[in-house]
Amino acid sequence: MEMSSTPTFAPGCRLHPTQEVMLVPEGTLKLTGPSRDILLRVDGQRTVTEIADDLLQGYPETNTDEIRNDILDLLARLEQRGVLRTTQLPTPNDLRS
Amino acid sequence: MTSEANPILPGPLSLIAELTHRCPLHCLYCSNPIEMQRASDELSTEDWTRVFQQAAKLGVLHLHLTGGEPLVRKDLPELIRAGREAGLYVNMITSGVGMTEQCLATLVDAGLEHLQLSFQDLEEESANHIAGTRSHAIKLALVPILKKFHLAFTVNLVVHRMNLDRLEDFIALAEDLGPDRLEIAHVQYYGWALKNRALLMPTEEQVHRALPIVEAARERLKGRIHLESVFPDYFGSFPKACVGGWGRQMMLIDPVGQAMPCHSAAVIPGLTFDNVRQHDLRWIWRDSAAFQRFRGDSWMSDTCLACPRKERDLGGCRCQAFMLTGDAEAIDPVCTYSPHHGLLQTLRTSTPEVLPIWRG
Ligand code: SF4
Ligand code: SF4
Repeated sequence: MEMSSTPTFAPGCRLHPTQEVMLVPEGTLKLTGPSRDILLRVDGQRTVTEIADDLLQGYPETNTDEIRNDILDLLARLEQRGVLRTTQLPTPNDLRS
Repeated sequence: MTSEANPILPGPLSLIAELTHRCPLHCLYCSNPIEMQRASDELSTEDWTRVFQQAAKLGVLHLHLTGGEPLVRKDLPELIRAGREAGLYVNMITSGVGMTEQCLATLVDAGLEHLQLSFQDLEEESANHIAGTRSHAIKLALVPILKKFHLAFTVNLVVHRMNLDRLEDFIALAEDLGPDRLEIAHVQYYGWALKNRALLMPTEEQVHRALPIVEAARERLKGRIHLESVFPDYFGSFPKACVGGWGRQMMLIDPVGQAMPCHSAAVIPGLTFDNVRQHDLRWIWRDSAAFQRFRGDSWMSDTCLACPRKERDLGGCRCQAFMLTGDAEAIDPVCTYSPHHGLLQTLRTSTPEVLPIWRG
């Protein structure tokens, strides 16, 4: 997972509509802190950068680099766990070649 | 205990719905009760729908549709839809026999989220030997169809004495199939499988050889296939909390509506099960005698009562204690402190000459 990747939920994995848990095959993953807010923005359209920008809106004073890294870290761990997948959208460069 | 004594009892997290005992297969390791329920007595679509709604209100998150073979139920799509509409996560455990692309499309459309397909072995001949029918080729053919759908797909490898030495090839086969998850589970010795225990139970040496193979596979598959393995506690020194503790995390409803704390609870004499036809799930969870029977620690032996591990293992598996010692309140014989622990030693090392018994 990179800042330019577009995460999407793997089949059979979804956020519980109200509770702080991810429903996955055979179990649940407890979500802590802002995890739910981050995952609510995973839609298979937005890149990690866009998810972070969206979350950071309205908090101009915060240490944005640190938060960006935390978000990337969470999403990368969920990818390792098989909960998220990434699709690398073609960059303008790829399209040209 | 009454419900007043139990004001903050947490609800169950999962509901296992045994939709039917009918099944086209005849597995050696079948954990269904030997006395099966008749099709004409099975719960109706309306009964199950009501049960799913009550379960969701009680806090259940996951619904596991199982059997027998769930595909035998003609109303399966309706049941899946009822589960989703109640707000549950819907998983189904199937042999794949009887599944077509069109049928799968209907199930996914109804809201099926996860499908588990279990494999008895990696070679046609021995797999069919274990399942007592020609099902292996059917399963392999089903995999490319499964992948066309937005559905989590788990391959379940059922391991035992007769195939554990070929675990590496077994895992390689599963890897080629490309599931989202791979589950390596040992045969559980309940129901029919108990009759074949001597034949199915791996030796201690086999289990020890298998562990590093599983660990290596877990590393190699990381990020691609999520691997989970459940090894038999027959080889441990301490038991595990059975089904997360009696009456603590799950409820099972059998095809005719009896609510049980675990799938083998019926082996314990003297337990009576309340039926969802007569009672609300909330009442059953809190007050049914079968669910109360081994809650808390009042039934425990003095050894367990004095033991610091009791919070973790809750005294181990009651069915196992009963099946091996004849006393459902006995210390689980897997525990080193059990006076019957020697029994386990014998079971682990014996290499009996036995013939398999298939269910008819
Ligand atoms: S173990 Fe085999 S016979 Fe028993 S229900 Fe499962 S698939 Fe059917
Ligand atoms: S004595 Fe009882 S509580 Fe202690 S480890 Fe053994 S089974 Fe568990």
